[in-house]
Amino acid sequence: MTKHLEQTTDTWEIGGKILTSRLLIGSALYPSPANMEDAIKESEAQIVTVALRRQAAGENAGGNFWNIIKALNIHVLPNTAGCHSAKEAITTAQMAREVFGTNWIKLEVIGDQYNLQPDPFETVKAAEVLIKEGFEVFPYTTDDLVVAKRLADVGCKVIMPWGSMIGSGKGLMNPDNLVAIRKQFPELKLIVDAGIGKPSHATQAMELGYDGVLLNSAIALAQDPVKMANAFKYAVEAGRLGYESGTMQAREFASPSTPTIGTPFWHQFK
Amino acid sequence: MIEVIVNGIRTEISSEMNVKEIIKELKYKQKGFALALNGTFVAVSTYDTTIIYDNDSIEILAPVQGG
Repeated sequence: MTKHLEQTTDTWEIGGKILTSRLLIGSALYPSPANMEDAIKESEAQIVTVALRRQAAGENAGGNFWNIIKALNIHVLPNTAGCHSAKEAITTAQMAREVFGTNWIKLEVIGDQYNLQPDPFETVKAAEVLIKEGFEVFPYTTDDLVVAKRLADVGCKVIMPWGSMIGSGKGLMNPDNLVAIRKQFPELKLIVDAGIGKPSHATQAMELGYDGVLLNSAIALAQDPVKMANAFKYAVEAGRLGYESGTMQAREFASPSTPTIGTPFWHQFK
Repeated sequence: MIEVIVNGIRTEISSEMNVKEIIKELKYKQKGFALALNGTFVAVSTYDTTIIYDNDSIEILAPVQGG
């Protein structure tokens, strides 16, 4: 195990931080807080997403959760989940910066309640304001190349296209679109966010050259979230190694791998 | 008495007051949350000088699990 890790550890930079893990993990939907904590540890993720919600007077549920996350000593990425306009997202980001003590924000502005598709217009508008206010914006977007271009134009250094709908577990709906974004923006950090359901989906995203994957439901809703966290750790690592190794070109015909010279029982018929 | 909306719920408070005072009156703990007034973020450093008026809307948010 030690040898394996020594061989595969690489470092990368995102949001001004140097990391070794390319898996970004969510903190929601786990069977219990203890299970969440164990799964995050097992994943070896160095970025965990969190959120803000209304708190009633006298409650301290948020404090208990936040204490668990703080004790993990990893980077926190607050989100603006549930926001439907740039204004709501900007206010939520400002509140998150104060509470969580980070200028990182996972910018989510939802445009459709049925499929939770991000609103590209409001997302770009919010990103522009937040970047001017000193935020490191991690925008959740679709796999639309032009939207990615607009986000880059306003200064986003990270872009997070969806694989498929949030929580769907359907994997990568449009790998070709994801490849197009990768090719167009080699200098940006690209994370596939949302829709990952299986470790193989994460591997596929990494094989496309994405810098990381962000997921929550696939681990939290597994029958054994801790074991699944371990599976995703290796899946992300395998995909990255595959990408760095350079995959072979697919062919339209069969080609034997075993040498044909000296094939037994071969006869030259006249 | 005046009425304000706190996290979507209409609530009576004794009078116009600043944010620091309303937090105390509503029996919130003194930290671990962030506050917005009428959709605009209010930094802790301005709690003393930000006044709550009749029909104002306040959001008080705290950390929770998120994806």
